[in-house]
Amino acid sequence: MNAPGDKPPLLPSQMSAPTPQKALRRLFLTLFLRGRGARGLNQKNTPKSISDKLRLTLLFYGLFGCFTFSMIGQPVFALAVYLHSLTFAFLGMFVASSAGEILFNKEEADILLHRPIDPKTMLWSKIRVLVEISLWIAGAFNLAGFFVGLGSPDGSWRFPLAHALSTSLEALFCAGCVVLAYQLCLRWFGRERLDGLMTTTQVLVSVAVVASSQILPRVIFRHSNALSASESSWWIWLFPPAWFAGFDDALAGGSWSISWLLGAVAIVATGLILWLAFDKLAKNYEAGLQLLGETVSKPKRTRPRRRWMDRLVAMPPFNWWLRDPVSRASFLLTTAYLIRDRDVKLRIYPGIAPMLVVPFVFLFQKNNMGGFGIALSGGYLGMIPLLGLNILKYSQQWQAADIFRMAPVRGPAGICNGARRAVLCFLTLPMIIAATAIILLLYGINSQIFLLLPGFVALPVFAMVPGLLGRAIPLSSPIEEGKSAGRGLTMMLMMFISIGLSAIANWMWTLNWFWPFMLAETIVVIGAYTGMRLALARVQWESAE
Amino acid sequence: MISIEQLTKRFGAQVAVDSLSLQIPAGEIVGFLGPNGAGKSTTLKMLTGMIEPTSGSATICGFDLRRDPIEVKRHVGFVPESGAVFESLTGLEYLEMVAALYGIAPNAARARIEQFIAFFDLSFETLTDKLLGAYSKGMRRKVVITSALLHNPPVVFFDEPLDGLDANAAVGFKALIQTLAREGKTIVYSSHILDVVERVCHRVIIIDKGKLLLDGKPDELVASHNSGTLEKLFTQLTGGAELERRAEDFAKTFRP
Repeated sequence: MNAPGDKPPLLPSQMSAPTPQKALRRLFLTLFLRGRGARGLNQKNTPKSISDKLRLTLLFYGLFGCFTFSMIGQPVFALAVYLHSLTFAFLGMFVASSAGEILFNKEEADILLHRPIDPKTMLWSKIRVLVEISLWIAGAFNLAGFFVGLGSPDGSWRFPLAHALSTSLEALFCAGCVVLAYQLCLRWFGRERLDGLMTTTQVLVSVAVVASSQILPRVIFRHSNALSASESSWWIWLFPPAWFAGFDDALAGGSWSISWLLGAVAIVATGLILWLAFDKLAKNYEAGLQLLGETVSKPKRTRPRRRWMDRLVAMPPFNWWLRDPVSRASFLLTTAYLIRDRDVKLRIYPGIAPMLVVPFVFLFQKNNMGGFGIALSGGYLGMIPLLGLNILKYSQQWQAADIFRMAPVRGPAGICNGARRAVLCFLTLPMIIAATAIILLLYGINSQIFLLLPGFVALPVFAMVPGLLGRAIPLSSPIEEGKSAGRGLTMMLMMFISIGLSAIANWMWTLNWFWPFMLAETIVVIGAYTGMRLALARVQWESAE
Repeated sequence: MISIEQLTKRFGAQVAVDSLSLQIPAGEIVGFLGPNGAGKSTTLKMLTGMIEPTSGSATICGFDLRRDPIEVKRHVGFVPESGAVFESLTGLEYLEMVAALYGIAPNAARARIEQFIAFFDLSFETLTDKLLGAYSKGMRRKVVITSALLHNPPVVFFDEPLDGLDANAAVGFKALIQTLAREGKTIVYSSHILDVVERVCHRVIIIDKGKLLLDGKPDELVASHNSGTLEKLFTQLTGGAELERRAEDFAKTFRP
């Protein structure tokens, strides 16, 4: 240790120091762009410039927004519904997935709560960052739309201005809604149930956002592209994107009386939500933030209770299915994380919940797309284990997975098998039951329900893919590694395979060759599955560098 | 400097801190001891404004914890047991962010950080180039200690500050807090390493189940209880006297 040098000054002066608001805004923006956890990141993966990552993200949204050019020649309302629906989906998903972590981060309590900042300043800094990034995303996605709107038959030069205003309102509305949802959870249910409720809230918000953004344009375009056709429909008032589209139409489009009303609803609803979230209920956030530092105690049980998971694995058929002790231990570990771990739940459930919306989307399609929709729903459901295992691979406690390597087991096969079975039991099976029930409700009992089968039959193969090279060891990698482009590409590839399979299945159905096709698929799946099991059993531990 | 009156914290039916009353003057190093779950960290979190007391009051440097929480926070430094940092910031970014929260101008902050870097034998390159997530536990602890002392607070709370520090850094740190106390700072030092507490602290407070058990100078307490060392006194008071015999019995179960 060296001498500390000159005597330090007394409590520092406030002169020319950045304000806490500015420091916090910078902090939360950096944390958002880099991610909160960097443990285990390779030096070469260390972000050199946060703006590079942001530019890439915005470029992606900008390119995606170029699909708006397919809307050239559409009336302002139709174009605005399309733009606002997708903007609503992107922003809603973004805010819903980020807000829990940004607003109520447990580790943050130990770092920031003893600093001289009041909770309201902290809330506003976080919201500012959320809205700021929302606006960048919205701006990038809507860039093409600004030009397309100028060429609308009933459009005017005012469209870019009106649409920029309505999009900003929409960003504020999305952020306000999510913050309000958390505050209401805190107010009504308290800190003790916040963790569980945050996950539920995110799942519900994700489903609501995807549903309203996917269903509304299809319902409207099914009848007509014009607002007048929907004027008498009561349901239009239930979809927030329609309010903001009405705003655009009122200022820069057909100016129907209903569009003025919809626009007014957009302004009033946004104002109300912001007032409730950031003024009326801000005290709940302050209280919630302080409670994060507290340990929640549960009342002691009078007698020890055997965990239901232990009872489950001791019962048939689980005791036979999980007779390998390594698989059983991995099954219990994975189940515990699926049920208890906030971080895993926040990533996994909002990720798979939108799959339940797929059947609804195709219900409103023209050209008798119902069959393909059912087949695609089956395909997506078949991919749930793939998605689930890919997400489960990452954890904040990834270093604890060293225990697998320390244990006297030759390779990761048993651990991967246990995790796969847990995902099949507690994630895939409930989703399959729920989705099948929804499809039966929407499409009625008809023979097309068999189109779900190709996806279901392919499920064991999809479930084996992540563990094939012994890499999908549950909870064994830092979360930051999960954001790599390679993982996204694998998912994209599997999704294309699933779409292809659904298209072929639907085609075979129309040719009346469905059952021979099913037989062929089953034979291929059995062969592939057996080969994959054998390959996995041979995998040995890689050196842990 | 620190005045606590009937401070209580309840989590539901469980009483974590039970009517704790204390006076700690300036320039004193107080060892704050207790077994796991005794209420030490809860007390420190209440005194740093992180959690709200259920009842009772506390003033730090004349500022009331309930009425002026921001002023209290401005006058205290805290090294939490968790040693949590924002892992995706570099050490320098983190310390500059903390400095900004206390209203320290960037130039003054940089000069102060450089003094800490020199004291803790950290390299400036590490602080600027590496994310905190890639630091060793000891380096991270040094950054956390720096962040607690950066604004030169008159009162500092340490919760297991030596956790992760190597022997040299620990020696330097102990000398640092003794010097800081001589210069008038109040230091509350919570730790399970009792021989360090015995050597460094002017006064020892032992709590258990949220209640104050003992308060006094370490040598006087040890003498009055005829316990020989602070560690023995601690185990006598907190029900650990039988531990050595139980450990021996348990070790016998490992025989093949």
